[in-house]
Amino acid sequence: MKDASFVLDKLSPQVRMALGITGAALIVGVAIVFLGIKPTYQRVKTLTAEVAQLGATHATMKTNIAGIQKQRAATEVAEDALKGILDEGVIEPLLGSFSMRGKSLLDPLAEETGFTIANIKEDRLIPLQVPQPPPQQLYARQLVELTGYGAYTQIVAFVQAAEQAFPLAVVSGLRIEHQMSTPERHRATITFEWPVKGEKRK
Amino acid sequence: MNASLHLNLLQDDERFSSSPIRLRVMVPLLAVLGVVGLGVWWLLLIARIDNIMHEKTNLETHCAELKPTHDQVLALRAREKETRAAVSQLGFYRTARIRFGDALARLPQHVPASIQFTELRVPTPPLQPPPDPTLKVKPLGPTNLAETVTLRIMGRASSSTSSEAVRSLLEALRRPAFTNLIRKAEIPKGTFRQDTARGPAARECVLFEISCDCGERRFE
Repeated sequence: MKDASFVLDKLSPQVRMALGITGAALIVGVAIVFLGIKPTYQRVKTLTAEVAQLGATHATMKTNIAGIQKQRAATEVAEDALKGILDEGVIEPLLGSFSMRGKSLLDPLAEETGFTIANIKEDRLIPLQVPQPPPQQLYARQLVELTGYGAYTQIVAFVQAAEQAFPLAVVSGLRIEHQMSTPERHRATITFEWPVKGEKRK
Repeated sequence: MNASLHLNLLQDDERFSSSPIRLRVMVPLLAVLGVVGLGVWWLLLIARIDNIMHEKTNLETHCAELKPTHDQVLALRAREKETRAAVSQLGFYRTARIRFGDALARLPQHVPASIQFTELRVPTPPLQPPPDPTLKVKPLGPTNLAETVTLRIMGRASSSTSSEAVRSLLEALRRPAFTNLIRKAEIPKGTFRQDTARGPAARECVLFEISCDCGERRFE
């Protein structure tokens, strides 16, 4: 240290001033680079990326909005298609009971065809296979089992009438048993299935 | 004595270089200019930030203005997606429908007079197997895409030509009138047998079963 001050003492005042200015300029320069330019440059980079992202979002929004009429039409077409299927025979419970819904639908047909419904009960609910992507509202197959009596022709007429009246109703189980006491009148256990709303996906 | 005498009357700090550029001036000057340059660069970057912020604010304002309409588009798109998925799922059901009415209505025309049905049965769909406990994600629905449907006819034939009558019924079930419903019809081994339960009076009677494969209900 003593040597350094001795060296400086030996230098002329002009050289000492030049060295001082150069040293100070270097320190200020380094400070500007590390404390000013570098963080500012980083901020510029971040902001540029944010603006690019926002620009892309904005462009996407504009494109999407430009197609709103087309989208509305597509949504309406899809909803009409779904409504068509629902109207075709996706049943809802009657006061919480699918068997009573089934009874309310089938009673008039039974009366028309001469088939006597003795009993009707709700059977299993079978989940329906799920497409990809899956809907939020899932659908299932509700089985409704009814027992009744009638001649073979009456039973078959009843099945035919149900299949015709409810295009989505399917006979998923059937048992026609011969009765010894009444050879012309059989006991029939018919299980119909209908599509119904199932669980809502979480 | 003819020796030359060198006389130096300058002090060290009074010495000047012969170069037109004096280092003790140029080095600090360049250093200061460098610092100024860095300062200008910094200022330009700050100005750029200001511009970008302005641009960002503009874009944010525009996006905020467009958001309600855009939300409508997104809601419409989500509704369409949900609806299409529901249509697709119900489509599985529609394609898997099976009809019995017409085939059952045609059946009596093909039953010989000597045959009496005792039971006609279509079993209900089988129970779903429990979900695989090793699976981490429980499937949303059944993984089987097809369900087999069968029709079983049980009856009694009471004549000396009962075997002919039963064969004729079996052949009838294989005819085009039933091919919409019945893919295959056969008499399971051992089901064509004498009716022993009703005593000696029914010795002429034979019991039979016909098992019909009605194809598969394919849920896809």
